Amino acid sequence: MKEIDELASRFEREAAAVADRAAWDELRVRWVGRKQGLVRAALDGIKSVESAQRRAYGEAVNRLKETVEQRLAAMDESLAARERETARRGAAVDVTLPGRRPSLGSIHPVTRVVREMVQIFSEMGYSVAEGPEAETDYHNFGALNFPADHPARDTQDTFFLQSGHLLRTHTSPVQIRTMLSRKPPIRVICPGRVYRNDNDLRHSPMFHQVEGLAVAEGITVGHLKGTLLAFLRRLFAPDTEIRLRPSFFPFTEPSAEVDITCQICKGSGCPTCSGTGWMELLGCGMVDPRVLAECGIDPDRYSGFAFGMGSDRVAMNRYNIPNIRTLFDNDERLLRQVRG
Amino acid sequence: MLFSRSWLSEYVDLPEPTAEIDKRLTDVGLAIEGTEENGEDVRIDVEVTSNRVDCMNHLGVARELAVIYGRPLRKPPVSPSEGTERVEDAARVDIEDEEGCPRFVARVVRGVKIGPSPDWLRQRLESIGSRSINNVVDVTNFILWEMGQPLHAYDLAKLEEHRLVVRRARAGETLVTLDGVERRLTPEMLVIADAVRPVGLAGVMGGADSEVTDATTDILIEGAHFDRRRVRIAARALGMHTDASHRFERGADPGACLDGVSRAAMLIAEVAGGTVLAGAIDQRREGVPASLGGRLDLDRLDAFAGAPIPAADAERWLTGLGFEVAEVARAGERLWDVSVPSWRLYDFQPRPDGSVYEADLFEEVIRHFGFANIPAALPGIPGADAPRTPRQILREKLRDLLAASGYAETVGFAFQSPEMDAAFSSLRPDTKAMPLANPLSDRYSVMRRSVVPNLVETARFNQRRGLPAVRVFEIATVFYENPAADVPDQPEHVALVCGGVVGSPWQRETALDLFDLKGAVECVAEAAGVRLEVRPAVLTGLLDGSSAELVRDGVRVGYFGRVATEEGYPLYVAEIALAGLEGGDVSLRVAAPSRFPGIDADLTLTHSVVTPWAEIDRAVAGLRPADLVSWEMTVRYQGQGVPEGAANTTVHFLYNSPERSLTQEEVNERQLALAAELQRRFGWKA
Repeated sequence: MKEIDELASRFEREAAAVADRAAWDELRVRWVGRKQGLVRAALDGIKSVESAQRRAYGEAVNRLKETVEQRLAAMDESLAARERETARRGAAVDVTLPGRRPSLGSIHPVTRVVREMVQIFSEMGYSVAEGPEAETDYHNFGALNFPADHPARDTQDTFFLQSGHLLRTHTSPVQIRTMLSRKPPIRVICPGRVYRNDNDLRHSPMFHQVEGLAVAEGITVGHLKGTLLAFLRRLFAPDTEIRLRPSFFPFTEPSAEVDITCQICKGSGCPTCSGTGWMELLGCGMVDPRVLAECGIDPDRYSGFAFGMGSDRVAMNRYNIPNIRTLFDNDERLLRQVRG
Repeated sequence: MLFSRSWLSEYVDLPEPTAEIDKRLTDVGLAIEGTEENGEDVRIDVEVTSNRVDCMNHLGVARELAVIYGRPLRKPPVSPSEGTERVEDAARVDIEDEEGCPRFVARVVRGVKIGPSPDWLRQRLESIGSRSINNVVDVTNFILWEMGQPLHAYDLAKLEEHRLVVRRARAGETLVTLDGVERRLTPEMLVIADAVRPVGLAGVMGGADSEVTDATTDILIEGAHFDRRRVRIAARALGMHTDASHRFERGADPGACLDGVSRAAMLIAEVAGGTVLAGAIDQRREGVPASLGGRLDLDRLDAFAGAPIPAADAERWLTGLGFEVAEVARAGERLWDVSVPSWRLYDFQPRPDGSVYEADLFEEVIRHFGFANIPAALPGIPGADAPRTPRQILREKLRDLLAASGYAETVGFAFQSPEMDAAFSSLRPDTKAMPLANPLSDRYSVMRRSVVPNLVETARFNQRRGLPAVRVFEIATVFYENPAADVPDQPEHVALVCGGVVGSPWQRETALDLFDLKGAVECVAEAAGVRLEVRPAVLTGLLDGSSAELVRDGVRVGYFGRVATEEGYPLYVAEIALAGLEGGDVSLRVAAPSRFPGIDADLTLTHSVVTPWAEIDRAVAGLRPADLVSWEMTVRYQGQGVPEGAANTTVHFLYNSPERSLTQEEVNERQLALAAELQRRFGWKA
């Protein structure tokens, strides 16, 4: 079948010359077009072939058809791949468009600070103790060595409920409940909401405290200092120094106010610390023996320390919030800035 | 409390500059609030804590300074030269209430001439911001600020029978106090009376009737000790606060009465003339002032402090502060018997056996030793204290989950107005909100029984500030009365509110609706490992038909719905009791996914609009064909192409066998069978 062999080599030649989709399309139409395709024509040509050779002719044309179709398909594939690649390269996006973000919320600044404190103390082996916010006079005052009708109670403007309960003025009743329910050694920190009847620019009638308590045999004033130093250096900065000034709280003896290096000026003196280089941060002391005894713990055998601070103040310091009231406005525009 | 540097130097030699003194006083517990030049003098503002009444006068602060600097303390003279007339012949004192008045000292000075004070006296009072009145009154004030003993001077001539009686006020009695106010007295109050009527409110203020005037010639000086509770009751009931009541309420020095009165008599004779009668009236209960002391073990002191404290220093500090120290001879031990001075009795409440607590003595020594000299150390308690409780774990998990789901955590007040309390449903409708006895205002007058009212208010606050969407949550305590327990019931609740449009066209914006909120609730339940059943309900403050209760094991543990009142975009709210989320199945067991490919199928059912999804869901679960792994609602449609009163629900199914590849034909068969059964049983057309 000479003419078929010639057609085959012609197809090879033409196929080799195809460089793009248009040429491929022409090639396809010319060869396998329904009506005028060369393969169709060759198939139709069978009519003019002698009957003895028709079978061989038919087979040859079918082979040609197969070859052509396969070849066209392969060419189509590789052209398509090339086109995809070209399209991919050509279709650059504006990568500076904003990403589609999962919708994130936020954790309240005070919660964040409390979590940080809890984390530090849990690494020191402390657990978290909690208690009721509406309390008895006994747990909030009596057991903490505030005598009835004593001016020491005046310093804690108390909210009373008509039921005779009060809103705890500090988280110290949790210390009492802990010591009443457990035996030493005790190491707990007590975060929580507290209430005082005080409402102005610098005070909120509800705020937060974190208190700590350690009771065991052989607890010393040095341990109190060391624990606070370790804690405050983690919470603030490794170069933080502390200063204990003797003070008075009914439930500790001796008692002290603790100042830390001003975190704004690092101790050199600035308006925030009134030029002193120190920031007043917490109160602390050795648990008063009367409090231990009240809770059924022998003060001659056990000693302990306790400390407490306002977590709101720490949050304000940490997040540069100037006013405690702002913390409880619950303005989402502020809250949602607290990330990380 | 103001002090004058020059006045302090009367009793102890002070170093320069004053800033040095400030630091040292602060170090022993007398915090300096500020100092101020005052001519030649310096005015020092000291914050004296309520336990240190002994330092609420110059001699007391000077005593601390004398110990700090190791210098002698010069006590002022207290012996007037006396005439021959005996005080007992001129006046009489009877204490009817010994509890209220353990001691009463009086002296009489005859023939004084009331007039202006000499310069030195006026200047002393002015140096601490006090005003000069006349020579006699000024002397009594001077003594209060010098030695701490509150005094009162009476015009002896105006005292009926020249007699003073310390007694409870009688019902209906009144007294015009020095400030000109008529006070109604009650039997709770202690008064000083003459033979007929009250002439002073004990420990608080004297009466106007017996006041020293320009015409006064004979005066009686009172220096007493009053029970601090009795003084406080009167002062609080009458809303009064005076220099005297401030000291008595905190516990004055029962040992200073005589010295105070004697020194006053001496100075009055000096600045106002007159003769001090012989002797002093000194009525007192037996054992006043009390003697108090205890054992100080120096080894235990060192162990308590965590530092070795030199015994010689400790002894010097204690004796300088007025404690008496006596060594106890016992081999191998370093023990002292220490007695407490009368001006510190109230700061040393003894043990039940009457001896002082060693910690109180330790404090005195450590205060002067200095916290700065104690090395920092860590206690060596082995192991950790206790694990986190399930509640603590759950609470923090919920916070993280909700924050990661787009909600911002808020913190709201625990008190609110009665109207807010009534505006929304409580999980305990059987209770009443607990009212405060002394609220800030009506707006904050009852304890919240639900976190929702406050949270909705917060959402509105943000809405009004123009936020296009609001999503907030709070985890907080709510309060229910419980007379059977020692404190009210205080369960913790989590509440969340959302509304508005989140995102933008680019960010694929979402108009938040009830099902965004419900989705968050479902996530909360899933994280807690509990199943919450949703039961449509009518709830206060929520829109009917868009609210439901959340029920766990038959118990209502929360609710959610659309807020009925609207300002701008609608708000959706949910509240769940944390107790209702506890004890869920949060085990870590998982089912291994099949190694074979699964086959998806969709089925759209046409049903009545009132047919709830929950019913379809239950029906599918009940008929669950073999190898059906999961199904979910994907489209709910009403409108064109769906008959009136009907709705279409499209459900997506996933089939997967753990053992083999399923064929499309067998899945089709099962879906057809399922559809036929749903139609047969429920009438839902596929």
